[in-house]
Amino acid sequence: MATDVSEKQAEADWRVGLSDDRLRDLLYKLKLCRYFDERIEALYRQGRLPGAIYSGRGQEGTHVGVAYTLRDDDSLFPTHRDLSAQLTKGLDLKRVMAQFWGRIDGFTRGRDGNSHVGDWFGNRTWTPVSHLPLAYPVACGAALAYKRRGEQRVAMAICGEGATSNGRWHEALNVSAVHRLPVVWVVNNNQWAYSTPNPLEFAVPTVAERAVPYGFPGIRVDGADVLDVYRVALQAVDRARAGGGPTLIESVSLRWRGHAGHDPAKYVPKEMLEEYMQHKDPVKRFEELLLSHEVTDAEAVKRIQERVEREFDEGFEFAQASPFPVPSDVTKGLWVEDGYWRSEPSHEGGTG
Amino acid sequence: MATAQVESGAAGHGAEPRGKRTEAGEATYLIAIAEALWEEMERDERVYLLGEDIGAYGGAFKVTEGFIERFGPERVMDTPIAEETIVGMAIGSAMEGFRPIAEFQYADFMTSGFDEIVTAAAKYHYRSGVPLPMVLRGPSGGGVRASSFHSSNPEPWFGHAPGLKVICPAFPSDAKGLLKSAVRDDNPCVFLEHKWIYRRIKEVVPEDQAFLVPIGQAKVQREGTDVSIVTYGMMVHLALEAAENLSQKGVSVEVVDLRTVHPLDSGTVLTSVEKTSRALVLYESHRFLGVGRR
Repeated sequence: MATDVSEKQAEADWRVGLSDDRLRDLLYKLKLCRYFDERIEALYRQGRLPGAIYSGRGQEGTHVGVAYTLRDDDSLFPTHRDLSAQLTKGLDLKRVMAQFWGRIDGFTRGRDGNSHVGDWFGNRTWTPVSHLPLAYPVACGAALAYKRRGEQRVAMAICGEGATSNGRWHEALNVSAVHRLPVVWVVNNNQWAYSTPNPLEFAVPTVAERAVPYGFPGIRVDGADVLDVYRVALQAVDRARAGGGPTLIESVSLRWRGHAGHDPAKYVPKEMLEEYMQHKDPVKRFEELLLSHEVTDAEAVKRIQERVEREFDEGFEFAQASPFPVPSDVTKGLWVEDGYWRSEPSHEGGTG
Repeated sequence: MATAQVESGAAGHGAEPRGKRTEAGEATYLIAIAEALWEEMERDERVYLLGEDIGAYGGAFKVTEGFIERFGPERVMDTPIAEETIVGMAIGSAMEGFRPIAEFQYADFMTSGFDEIVTAAAKYHYRSGVPLPMVLRGPSGGGVRASSFHSSNPEPWFGHAPGLKVICPAFPSDAKGLLKSAVRDDNPCVFLEHKWIYRRIKEVVPEDQAFLVPIGQAKVQREGTDVSIVTYGMMVHLALEAAENLSQKGVSVEVVDLRTVHPLDSGTVLTSVEKTSRALVLYESHRFLGVGRR
């Protein structure tokens, strides 16, 4: 009898309270983000994609795991590396792809490219700024607004471990503690800040322990395990929502690709890369987990993959059909009162 | 002459109280700014102040003296000394529907929040369509025997960042009306007060709470026919003094006060120069690439 209870407990624990449907949805998100990342890079290498790419491959466990804990009205403040977190929050893939091709239907209306994308009005996500971690102080402000109005909402910000060397990171952590703000700080420690390894970024063993002197908990988690990330992030989100203040999450993975598309990342030891790709692949690991628990089967996984590929192709076609912004609009939208952003963009050119 | 009469205490650090209007309704620039903040906070719950030592102490120059007693510590929010985060919090709370006003003890310290101002705030609406109704205000300028870190005129720096409105009033009424307009504006506004003017210049300032001065409109402060001086901030007062002196020598000087540095009211400037055919551009900041030097 006692054994039955603990077995049921173990069965309940591994899934962190997620239903079969939600677990399958999580697998869909992981596979979507992986496929998107791979295809975008292929198009970039074929010279069919303008601008730059910032791959998040190998870090989907972190991105999907943390973002999956958020409600629609919670806000997310990502970097350009964290598109997978934004897709998890719910960004429309078609408009994301129009963004990559600089088209009017992109979230910045062609003013910015690639993953410098956000959807504040639809999904409460910040449009990343390259200077990192500039979104950390901003997340403090959103969290302050929720606290002031007594709303049960949370702001989550993500940056890489490289950005933790920057003063803004420390300012934001300190202020969030002083004012007990409902914020979750995520550090995607992918072990390489462009080419700089952890030991040249900080002299402490972990990023997570840096939370303690600021006055709140820090937790380090294995980014290869999306459910572990989700579990830790959910605790942090619940704590913030209940008025318990901030938490720092350091999720460790490896950046499988270079800093950007141009970077072959030869500074990453080959053995390290192989170890992560073979044994710490968050997408493959989660797929195997669901198969072993019979939450899904090979046929269903195949259907997920087909869906992901179809959605990518539809997004690609949508992006190619979307017009470029017209040059005469270049200065519009500088001021709110010129009305550029209040009107729907016209497909005949201009913004009507 | 302006530089000849530096009263004790005029350098600020605000040991003295802010003071009150005279019975005739005259208010200093300092009082006019405080009135603008007070009226906007009374009018709109979304408006709040954040900055260093603005609560119990009342701000480095005493602009917010007495505010915390009326509006409480949430709306008069003392922050750690963390300017990037002060600006960042203004951005984030503006995105979520508040209308923050951040105080810098001196405009010089805006450089400690520069990245959030010019990289994040200035470009954000252009890229995303998200309005950022926020005001960043601080005392600029020299002439009060402060240090090289308490005397800057940063308006050209912010004027070079499209997306910011940059306001530099010279008179108490303009300061009040423009600050109220800035609080109601949906764009990020950099409001540069001039610390030399704070306690020196007083005039009858409108008490009507609906009184506003539109952003982006220059004003001819003195009419003349021989030459136009195009200026703003403390230099307006220097220009008016010069114009008065020159009038005794038969030279008629027109003084154009820009009031807003960006967006620039070139219409008023050109109208004046068309009339006088001569222009002198006068500003306090570094001469190279300053306001008006193209």
